[in-house]
Amino acid sequence: MSMRASVSDLPIVLEEVSFASGGVTILDHISLAFATRAPAVLIGPNGAGKTTLLRLLMGLIAPVRGRVTWGGREDVEPTHRAIVFQRPVMLRRSAAGNIRYALAAAGVPRGERADRADELCALVGLNGLGRRPARKLSGGEQQRLALARALAKEPQILLLDEPTASLDPAATKAIEDVIRSIAARGIKVVMSTHDLGEARRLAGEIVLMHRGRLIENGSADTFFADPRTEEARRFIRGELLV
Amino acid sequence: MPTRRSLFVLAATVALVAAGPVGAQDKSIVVASTTSTQDSGLFGHILPLFKAKTGITVKVVAQGTGQALNTARRGDADVVFVHAREAEEKFIAGGFGVKRYSVMYNDFIIIGPKDDPASIKGSRNVVFALKAIKAKGAPFISRGDNSGTHIAELKLWKDAGIDIKKEAGPWYKSIGQGMGATLNVAAASGAYAMSDRGTWISFKNKADLVIAVDGDKRLFNQYGVILVNPAKHPHVKKELGQQFIDWLISDEGQKAIADYKVNGEQLFWPQRE
Repeated sequence: MSMRASVSDLPIVLEEVSFASGGVTILDHISLAFATRAPAVLIGPNGAGKTTLLRLLMGLIAPVRGRVTWGGREDVEPTHRAIVFQRPVMLRRSAAGNIRYALAAAGVPRGERADRADELCALVGLNGLGRRPARKLSGGEQQRLALARALAKEPQILLLDEPTASLDPAATKAIEDVIRSIAARGIKVVMSTHDLGEARRLAGEIVLMHRGRLIENGSADTFFADPRTEEARRFIRGELLV
Repeated sequence: MPTRRSLFVLAATVALVAAGPVGAQDKSIVVASTTSTQDSGLFGHILPLFKAKTGITVKVVAQGTGQALNTARRGDADVVFVHAREAEEKFIAGGFGVKRYSVMYNDFIIIGPKDDPASIKGSRNVVFALKAIKAKGAPFISRGDNSGTHIAELKLWKDAGIDIKKEAGPWYKSIGQGMGATLNVAAASGAYAMSDRGTWISFKNKADLVIAVDGDKRLFNQYGVILVNPAKHPHVKKELGQQFIDWLISDEGQKAIADYKVNGEQLFWPQRE
């Protein structure tokens, strides 16, 4: 892969960030930072605000209070960030065609797109499936294709919203392997999951949210071995946080 | 039957009585101070006590120390209350302040990841610690915002014989943000950082960070309060401003400072000279 831009979008710093919609508070005074390190995994019950937080980190929405900075700057174009939503939309093209489309959008010269598409297919384990219509791929394969598209812009930060939701164990393992290899390339991964096991497998750091609030965050090892808050202890035990 | 004249006099009298003595409605001052002092909660504790005693409302404009002094230089504050002695003395030497009074001190600490890559945990020698951090290339997050904390950090690198502007490598990240953001980035990066103890105690996202170094006298952080010079800015409320200073260094003010606690811990120690 080619060299990334020298200007960094890291660390992402949220200072007393709140977000509301339709009169409902979705994120409530969140102060947090994401820096260059192992994957950060957002966990918490449905409605905790995980997806909204990811959208905020991408810059798709702006906080109603507080501020978000990327590499110390506000209002930064999301050139060096990419997001993959839970149910990615597949273009009516082949798998490789989807990737080439993303490469074109990222400004990769036409003559380089075919080789880059092959590289990305290999990276996400879609070798040999490049010509298949994207909409005919399995759920796990589509998710891997979505990751390949996101990587086309060589992001510094990759945001993933429940990347393995509704996938079978084999497909989940394949996606997790891809996420590990992405993180190993120095890309900061911030992802959400409902699966505590997945959080244990992938997370370098954990962010536990509940009802829009940050409950606890820290290294995954410490979080799972010795959680500080009662809510974290209950969540790890599998209890419902109401 | 009241005449028009007598009605006019009555109306004027009512208006004057309603207004009260001239200036009484504006019994307030502006104090330029620092974000770390504001964030510590100290003002929330002492200012109501001062107002109860004097009727004077204090409005705090909280910024980094450098910015706070600039605000005062422009005459946009009546009093400045910061913690960077050299900068304060320059401020007075420049004719912008009347006199510096020592008020209190707290301390800075070096926080860092509990696995302590630079092997400095428990040290009481901050110069040794900074040398070890640099030698190891252990990540360090600097506020980089010209705050009192940042200025103090730069001085400590200098005391360690390190020209940090020239010798910083990828391990040293200057983020240009406040104390809370700096601690969050340090937590997210597993990095060392310098913090005032007050912000650290109140900081909720400690993650895997612990206090690595404290207790070195070079980490003591002294606060001074200065009346903005009315000779430079005639609109400065010098009587009200001086009342605030006098209260801070009085027995009552010094006790109020000492009484302020967070999670049962005292954050500031009175230190009038």
